[in-house]
Amino acid sequence: MQDYRLTDKNIIGKPALIVGVAGLALSMIGYFMDPKQFFYSYLVAYVFWTTLALGGLFFTLLHHLTGAEWSTVLRRISESVMVSFPILAVLFIPVALGMHDLYHWTHTDVVVNDKILSAKAPYLNVTFFIIRTAAYFAIWSLLSWRLHKLSLEQDSNPSPELRKKFRKISAPGMLLFAVTITFAGFDWLMSLDPHWYSTIFGVYVFGGSLLAIYSFLIIFGLMLRKRNILQDTITVEHYHDLGKFLFAFTIFWGYIGFSQYFLIWYANIPEETIWYLYRWEGSWSIITMIIVLGHFLVPFILLMPRANKRNLKFLNFMAVWIFVMHWIDIYWLVIPNLHQQGFQLSWMDLTLTLGIGGLFMYWFWRKLSANALVAINDPSLEISINFTNN
Amino acid sequence: MSVASNQLVEQETPLISGDQTFASVTEKISSIAEAKTPKMWYVAIGISASIMFFFLFLIGYLVWEGIGIWGLNIPVGWGWAIVNFVFWVGIGHAGTLISAILFLFRQKWRTSINRFAEAMTLFAVICALIFPGIHVGRIWMAYYMFPLPNQMSMWPNFRSPLLWDVFAVGTYFTVSLLFWYTGLIPDLASMRDRAKTKIRRYVLGFFSLGWRGGNRQWQHYELAYLLLAGLSTPLVLSVHSVVSTDFATSVIPGWHTTIFPPYFVAGAIFSGFAMVNTLAIIARKIYGLEDFITIKHLEKMNIIMLVTGSMVGYAYSCEFFIAWYSGNEYETFTFLNRAFGPYAWAYWTMVSCNVIVPQLFWFKKVRTSVPIMFVMALLVNVGMWFERFVIVVSSLSRDFLPANWDYYSPTWVDVGMFIGSFGLFFTLFLIFLRFVPMIAMAEVKAVLPQADPHFYHGNGHLDTAANTVAVKEGGKA
Repeated sequence: MQDYRLTDKNIIGKPALIVGVAGLALSMIGYFMDPKQFFYSYLVAYVFWTTLALGGLFFTLLHHLTGAEWSTVLRRISESVMVSFPILAVLFIPVALGMHDLYHWTHTDVVVNDKILSAKAPYLNVTFFIIRTAAYFAIWSLLSWRLHKLSLEQDSNPSPELRKKFRKISAPGMLLFAVTITFAGFDWLMSLDPHWYSTIFGVYVFGGSLLAIYSFLIIFGLMLRKRNILQDTITVEHYHDLGKFLFAFTIFWGYIGFSQYFLIWYANIPEETIWYLYRWEGSWSIITMIIVLGHFLVPFILLMPRANKRNLKFLNFMAVWIFVMHWIDIYWLVIPNLHQQGFQLSWMDLTLTLGIGGLFMYWFWRKLSANALVAINDPSLEISINFTNN
Repeated sequence: MSVASNQLVEQETPLISGDQTFASVTEKISSIAEAKTPKMWYVAIGISASIMFFFLFLIGYLVWEGIGIWGLNIPVGWGWAIVNFVFWVGIGHAGTLISAILFLFRQKWRTSINRFAEAMTLFAVICALIFPGIHVGRIWMAYYMFPLPNQMSMWPNFRSPLLWDVFAVGTYFTVSLLFWYTGLIPDLASMRDRAKTKIRRYVLGFFSLGWRGGNRQWQHYELAYLLLAGLSTPLVLSVHSVVSTDFATSVIPGWHTTIFPPYFVAGAIFSGFAMVNTLAIIARKIYGLEDFITIKHLEKMNIIMLVTGSMVGYAYSCEFFIAWYSGNEYETFTFLNRAFGPYAWAYWTMVSCNVIVPQLFWFKKVRTSVPIMFVMALLVNVGMWFERFVIVVSSLSRDFLPANWDYYSPTWVDVGMFIGSFGLFFTLFLIFLRFVPMIAMAEVKAVLPQADPHFYHGNGHLDTAANTVAVKEGGKA
């Protein structure tokens, strides 16, 4: 009997930690040079990795709720992604410290003279913002911690009762997830431009986080495969299914993004169109077009053929592509508030993404490598391993 | 390891109960369409056809008199007709979701309900299309809705969502019809082979397109089915998204909100499943199909209603929050007006039926009790009609200028036409139940345990007689 444990536990852990610490340390220099840029770059990097963790939470919840069998072999990976919320909560502190630079509505003198912002003040104020964010993290951490703990319990105690328990947590968990990701999207990203509003914004953030987790699972799984880990457990059939979801959620993301753009374009109300105008100003139009083509059209066409989804090299390329596109998407949501004339990449965009990502991956790896890489006592594990697409 | 883990797998109850064989499936389903017409059927179609003819009469009256006989006023230029249109289009979505999306998601339980859910889609879309058709006023000019070349070079406005509706719903109907018909072919062939009279054999032979059930035919058939499922999947999203743009592209408070497309789609699936459930509960009772449409099937549909009902609740809350958050006084007013204004009764009917009622499906007892779910499904149907009423009427009746405000109430013609459309729907549905196998026999056979190629090598416990019949019949394995 295979125990699915790693023999070499140092594949990612230490290098990731080094990259993380080095990235953050380097960025600290940037903080003294240009604090405003630092906070904006930080927010991009931070939201990028947080959406991945949220995707991991969603993947796990969905797996339990639907009773899916094919994805059982991937469960432990998504579980290890989602238990990063405590770390992410700590990493939120710089965002909280940079609120004055990031969020216009924190300037009390501006708010007093702005009728609309004063009307929003009961919601958009520093205290409530922090309370809400703390609540999101409490909910996410608790949910993911409970599910992860149960999952580890299952490794030593294969009781069929656990399946019910997973569901009992996941069902209300899904509702909480929907509400919290929406308001986190409103708070962290939409309120960067406090006059602007869009009811679909939460769904848009959700769409992005789906792409983050599905592409991550492909990239990470194939990385393990290269090292001959789990190569007979996560088979081409699973990658094919992941590819299908990547394709489907590319369309979903495009659909949501298009709905938002299209309705705002059509109604042509200045207070709404301004958001897109910023993203069409100067060189921003290039980024916007990259997102339209690269985030939607290219993967839409290339992921459609069955053969492409079963070609692991190609699928890996597409997953990396979408993972990068997701970062560009977050960049495109955040940075136009800082550089209004056109986009300007900063070296801190890179160091902070690597810095937070390094810590994130370190933590992820620690959690993953400490236990079996798959849920060994999941009743549907065998079905999942032998699953085929026919 | 393998034995141990297999024991742990929850023993899933079979999808189809009552120890069915290929032969018994064919016998049970085909005989419904073959037996002598039951008296009750005549009674039922007598009632529904009378209502349908009343509907046709009202349409004639409308064409003669003009839409002044409706309760429309200024500013409420869209009333029940548009409400009914959106209501019926929405109903259709469950059929497409069951046949296309659940197919792609490998949800085998769909085989028991897809046939009549798809039929429901077609009939609902027919009912839907009538309302905007007669709303144009000068119905003899209705062809202007299509971009027909003419010597005056007059074209419809391609930027108008109303034109997109024509395309979206037209495509939807066409593809749904093709999908439904493709699925019907093997079943019609089975019925052809059982036909006792010559006419019956010829008619069914014609419609089954010479189906013989050969290996190659099945391969082509399954590929066609997969492709049609793939083509129908975007339609589940696109049709109601386009319908939502009828409202959301405007600048009317309460209509112009970016969440409308996915929110409408979720609501459509929600209402569609309520209708499928209603029809399934009635049909399984009357025709004794409890083995095919089991409690498990109904429970799964109830779970989908719980999920989509919660999505609808999410959208309501999101709209309400952003209306306040926007700081836009018109938006804020519209939503407060919905909840506390003259249409508050409609708003709270909507919220109770669509958000609160489906939450009861959290309880397994409720999900598996047929009478309770029947009542709940009806309430959801009511709630979803009211949702469209709230959207259409409350936003229009109180817009930017208080001097323009007016209260809208329907006339007897409005009410009559809405009821009349149910007459049309049920007439079509009764004809379907009478002449066409209402459950996809070939697909149900494919999910029976006997469909497993290894079934007869191992623990086959069926009596040989039944097997021989199944093989003779060329039932799908």
